Amino acid sequence: MAEETFDLAACLERVRQRDQLAARQLVEHLYPLVIRIVRSHLPRRVAEEDLAQEIFLKMFTRLDQYKGAVAFTHWVSRIAVTTCIDQLRAQKRRPEFRWADLSEKEAEVLDTVLTSEGEVAVNDHLAARELVYKLLGELKPDDRLVLQLLDLEQHSVAEISQMTGWNPSLVKVRAFRARGKLKKLFEELQRKERS
Amino acid sequence: MKDFEAKWQRLVTAARQAPVADDVEMPFGFATRVAARALGTARPGLLAVLGRFSVRALWLACLLTLASVAVNYLGAAWSGTDEADQSYFDPISETLGGES
Repeated sequence: MAEETFDLAACLERVRQRDQLAARQLVEHLYPLVIRIVRSHLPRRVAEEDLAQEIFLKMFTRLDQYKGAVAFTHWVSRIAVTTCIDQLRAQKRRPEFRWADLSEKEAEVLDTVLTSEGEVAVNDHLAARELVYKLLGELKPDDRLVLQLLDLEQHSVAEISQMTGWNPSLVKVRAFRARGKLKKLFEELQRKERS
Repeated sequence: MKDFEAKWQRLVTAARQAPVADDVEMPFGFATRVAARALGTARPGLLAVLGRFSVRALWLACLLTLASVAVNYLGAAWSGTDEADQSYFDPISETLGGES
């Protein structure tokens, strides 16, 4: 379905009247947005399709609560983000992070970052991404989310506030605390590497 | 670690430059399945009506139970009184007494 021909307001009205075809079109329209959020915040061992389905079902259940105060896509994004956080919170904490948990490439990247001032090699960018996700995975869900949105996805504090429903001061405080925890993790890894 | 922030930023910058799989193709039948589940199961009106009826039915059942217990008790009490009266009636002694 072409983006420019999609009449969201009319589609929502039809969905409210329980039109199955309109509901299908709405899912098709929003799928790229939802799946990108799901992929970037996907908890371990959760299938992206299951999580996307859960988000859409929540969206339909709460559709009557949508009053149009914010753009519909923002409203759906918030449902997606909070659903991902809920999934992350439901997961058990990982055991202690070790160098042995890293692949050869990831260990190499971490070593480069910890011990030298040099930039990460271009062909190691993918390993760097995996490493960042592994490190963020050691944090609590809220801390992980705020650093991911702020540092990795480069959203502004205002945008994060809108996506999560946290006020801007809370976003800043969480980011500060999360950086502190990440710093400790870095120090621990560096100590382990030396020993 | 004084230069943690610089190290973290270097790592994150490299991570951002990694190619991202941007395949957003929807699995076959996903939209149909989700639409059917969302509109098929979410029937608050019907559920609410059923819920209200079941609560009323529960109250009615309680009322009927109490009524039947009360009726049975009263019935037993009355029939018990009759039996008590009858227990004083001894046809043999009445007959013998009458003859003597």
